[in-house]
Amino acid sequence: MRIRGAAVVILLAPAMAAMVVLYVIPLGVYFINSFHRFLDGRILPVWTLQTYVEYFTDSFTYKVMGTTLRLSLLVTVLSIVIGYPLAYALHTRVRSAAAKGLLALLLFSPLLVSVVVRTYGWLILLAGTGVVNTLLRGLGIIDQPLNLLFNMTGVVISLTHILLPFAIFPMYSVMSRLDLSLKEAAHDLGAGWWDTFTHVTLPLTMPGIVAGALICFTLALSAFVTPRLLGGGRVQVMPLMVYNNTVDINWPTGAVSGLVLLLMSIAAVWTLNSLLRRLPSV
Amino acid sequence: MDVEIRAITKRFGQVVAVDTVSFVIRGGEFFSLLGPSGCGKTTTLRVIGGFEHADAGEVLIAGRSMGQMPPNRRETNMVFQRLALFPHYTVFDNVAFGLRMKRLPEDDVQRRVGDALDLVQMPGLAGRRISELSGGQQQRVALARALVNRPRVLLLDEPLSSLDLKLRLQMQEELKRLQRELGTTFVYVTHDQGEALAMSDRVAVMDGGHLLQVGPPMEIYEQPRTRFVANFIGDANLIDGIVESIDGEAVMVRAGGHKVSARRQGWERSGQSVTVCVRPERVRIVAAAPGGGGAGSSGGPGDDALRARVEDRAFSGYLVKYRLAIDGLRLHAAVPYVSGTSLYQIGEDVIASWDPQQAVTVANE
Repeated sequence: MRIRGAAVVILLAPAMAAMVVLYVIPLGVYFINSFHRFLDGRILPVWTLQTYVEYFTDSFTYKVMGTTLRLSLLVTVLSIVIGYPLAYALHTRVRSAAAKGLLALLLFSPLLVSVVVRTYGWLILLAGTGVVNTLLRGLGIIDQPLNLLFNMTGVVISLTHILLPFAIFPMYSVMSRLDLSLKEAAHDLGAGWWDTFTHVTLPLTMPGIVAGALICFTLALSAFVTPRLLGGGRVQVMPLMVYNNTVDINWPTGAVSGLVLLLMSIAAVWTLNSLLRRLPSV
Repeated sequence: MDVEIRAITKRFGQVVAVDTVSFVIRGGEFFSLLGPSGCGKTTTLRVIGGFEHADAGEVLIAGRSMGQMPPNRRETNMVFQRLALFPHYTVFDNVAFGLRMKRLPEDDVQRRVGDALDLVQMPGLAGRRISELSGGQQQRVALARALVNRPRVLLLDEPLSSLDLKLRLQMQEELKRLQRELGTTFVYVTHDQGEALAMSDRVAVMDGGHLLQVGPPMEIYEQPRTRFVANFIGDANLIDGIVESIDGEAVMVRAGGHKVSARRQGWERSGQSVTVCVRPERVRIVAAAPGGGGAGSSGGPGDDALRARVEDRAFSGYLVKYRLAIDGLRLHAAVPYVSGTSLYQIGEDVIASWDPQQAVTVANE
């Protein structure tokens, strides 16, 4: 037991060291800064709750929070709604293991490309004279080009694309563990396709949906590159504000804002995890 | 006739799972599909239930051709091998599922689910979750969930295979009781010949996608048609040989240096290679007279008597099982144990014989 205990410590040490150096210490520094004060372009090393008070009494804070939450929710819902049928099709309609592997690789291939590159890609696609607008106008669906860039729409489209694989993976993994005879049993007991889906498949794949939503939501909450490049300064989300504050040497405000963002993430994880626990395991 | 199978064939890729199988299941019958794994019994059952569609041939239920009709529109219900109970539902909701799919009024649902749970002797557990039940209880819920729909035909796919022996025997009796009480046609898939013999009105033996023999358990036991059936159902001594002569009801078969006789089935021809099947409990043993003649046939009239030596024996309570060596042959005998009598010793010389009427010739394939 002693040797095993030592082995555990040795195996965990690099990860622990990385966590402490790269996460815990900076977070501590951050936390300390949140109790300082920023005045006339300088950080005053005084101990005060003034920054918190100003942050929470500023209406701009709530506007940014609202935008952040709206963006995260929208992207999460879209990722699940688009991703679920995709995962389901991959699970049920594709029979051969080789085809399954290939399609899965294709689905996850966006992850091989950097977020910055993908975001620039969307910049080209969504521009006024870009592919999407040209196509829609060519088909006579619209007369005037749609405003898809430098607003919420563009950010939502691009971020959904980026996060889709993260939604699909947990849903697909839960689906592939589903006992197929459960669907046959529902079918045998008189349920048609729709009843089987709503009474059996959907409830039993709910853990996958919740897990997918959890990953998408927390990633969307902290998304920075996409809102910055495609938002054109008009989509002001919390990570952007934290960045701006930090660049302006306004570390105290950045720290408060960052801590609030962290708390929001923790709240999301906690809520969805407790939901997950209440669901039946497949 | 509840179910009629007409020459169905089912392929999975290159594999022919079921090859031109035909049989008829009568109303109210307990019918078993018996065979080793991969013999096509489960595929046949799934074709009846509509989970697979035959590549050729057709299935008739209550006289109507099923064609491509899906399971939800057939008058059948299935008890699955892995039970397939809905883990997110309570016992009650599991059993109620079929009735709710039929949009029955909730009053009827309550009453019928209650009756079904009483029927399988599970009252008072309606509110439990599936994960809170024992294996035997889950079995009963799966039965109730299927039976509550009052199917014309109940399909059972090795439902007892996951239970331990004692529980399995108990559930066998239970299933038999239910079938008698309800008069529902049961089609039961199993690889356990004991189970099939004990429960069924008729048994269909399958192997390699082919239907080998259909009949009541006793008939299959007494008159197996092929070597495979003889070997698969119960224990059998199988003696390969050549038909030497046919004399009225008896067939004389030469097997090595021995001559054995068996009841004539009608298809035997002189010179044909056949197998003689003798059940161990038909073999009689008597002590050899000291200093008797050499090995070979030397029995009384109508009997085949073989000089043998006891090679091994096992006492199992009401039976004593002997393994006998006769030069070139090996014979198993199961003799009822009469208390107070002494057993034959290992190495002892004995004479083994049987009534030719209780041995049969089977196709040697």
